[in-house]
Amino acid sequence: MIEVIGLTRRFGRSAAVDDLSFTVAPGKITGFLGPNGAGKTTTMRIILGLDRPTSGRATVNGVPYRTLARPLTHVGALLDASAVQGGRRAEQHLRWLARTNGIPSTRIGGLLELVGLGEAGRQRVGAFSLGMKQRLGLAATLLGDPEALLLDEPLNGLDPEGIRWMRGLLKSLAAEGRTVLVSSHLMHEMAVTADHLIVIGRGRLLADTEMTRFVRPGRSLEDTFMDVIGSAS
Amino acid sequence: MNAVAAEWIKLRTLRSTWWALGVGVLTALALTALGASTVISRWAPGRTGEQAAMGIVVADYVGVVLAQLPLGMLGTMSISGEYASGMINTTFVATPSRSRVLLAKAAVLAAIAVAASLVIAIPGYLYGHAVASRFGPTLPPAGAWAVVGGGTLMIVMTTLLGLALGAIFRNGVVAVCVLMLLMVLVPFAGLMLPGGEVVNRILPGYPALQLIEQLPDIMPDAAAFAVLGAWAVVPLLIAVLANERVS
Repeated sequence: MIEVIGLTRRFGRSAAVDDLSFTVAPGKITGFLGPNGAGKTTTMRIILGLDRPTSGRATVNGVPYRTLARPLTHVGALLDASAVQGGRRAEQHLRWLARTNGIPSTRIGGLLELVGLGEAGRQRVGAFSLGMKQRLGLAATLLGDPEALLLDEPLNGLDPEGIRWMRGLLKSLAAEGRTVLVSSHLMHEMAVTADHLIVIGRGRLLADTEMTRFVRPGRSLEDTFMDVIGSAS
Repeated sequence: MNAVAAEWIKLRTLRSTWWALGVGVLTALALTALGASTVISRWAPGRTGEQAAMGIVVADYVGVVLAQLPLGMLGTMSISGEYASGMINTTFVATPSRSRVLLAKAAVLAAIAVAASLVIAIPGYLYGHAVASRFGPTLPPAGAWAVVGGGTLMIVMTTLLGLALGAIFRNGVVAVCVLMLLMVLVPFAGLMLPGGEVVNRILPGYPALQLIEQLPDIMPDAAAFAVLGAWAVVPLLIAVLANERVS
């Protein structure tokens, strides 16, 4: 469970996140939507302790992320799949990451297989396509078998087969009772993936509701999203 | 210990680490051999075995400190590479304590610097011993330990200074420029300018060269060790403090 309570983050005079509160519940996929600059990435960075809020707080299972002793065993995060050093082999990248949290490296082979990089594990990450880096990033989030997943634009760079695969994997992870928060700009994909939606614009909460309640029959998620964003600005 | 082990995996799985170490160690070994041969060939025939032993250690550690700049750059790259790629976020998500990450990097780099110094110093010493055999060198005298300690501390200090500058500036080019400025340009200018010896006293270069008997003593050896130690530790502490304030 991830909780954001009265979160505000100002950069200079402008607020990237403005008094934002929501709860991400386990057992379903929560879509995190908003136009560019709405504050999605800033919110995720604050949840992960990478950035400090101006006021308010964010907690994971009731405690601030930075106080977790082995955080990867609680939360798996994928912020920017291309942010890896190209000189390492995929398997070596997962090896150092596992070691930081005392996770046995025996998990690495199986995870590479799970994300479809079984053959590519020996290759250097620099030669990977963005889609392959997304797969590697997803393997990294699962290293610690965490109960919560935070994924920022995980569909970028995936081919149609990859998108379908990611959808299936996220659904099965949610079905196992995990908390899954996914940001994306791909409305058609979110419409068939997410169970719940959190929509923000200009750092403020615009909607926090079940997918079936958000989108009225006969309308698309894209139309509804544009209406909500439009009426807020 | 998890953080230290992880940082060691990170360093050893990048080819640039082995390039920097290879270039540093091989250049230093070649120059040690060359320098020792030249210096020993000029010795007066009356030199005692103990003087010869001391001379070998000095020539050896002059060679060791020649590897310091590649190691300093390795220190910088170990963190600036993570900022450049953005992987630093993954590092801090996995280990939220930034000081723990930095100190783990420092521990691994210091161990690598000591290991590199030994990889240069041991063959260098044996080579010097062989070249100077006609002087019948004894075991190194007690005074040689200041040379060994000073040379080792210098190479560790430069490596950690490189790391600290990388962590402070978060940009490899800027950090390496500042490292060069501190280690090469400012001391060089200090030798020529009036009042330069006062500045040099608090820079890392002069105390190290004094300890390895390359420049006249202008301070007690203990003070030279203290200045070197401060350059190893203080910039790192500044980097730790700067990083604890999450931007």
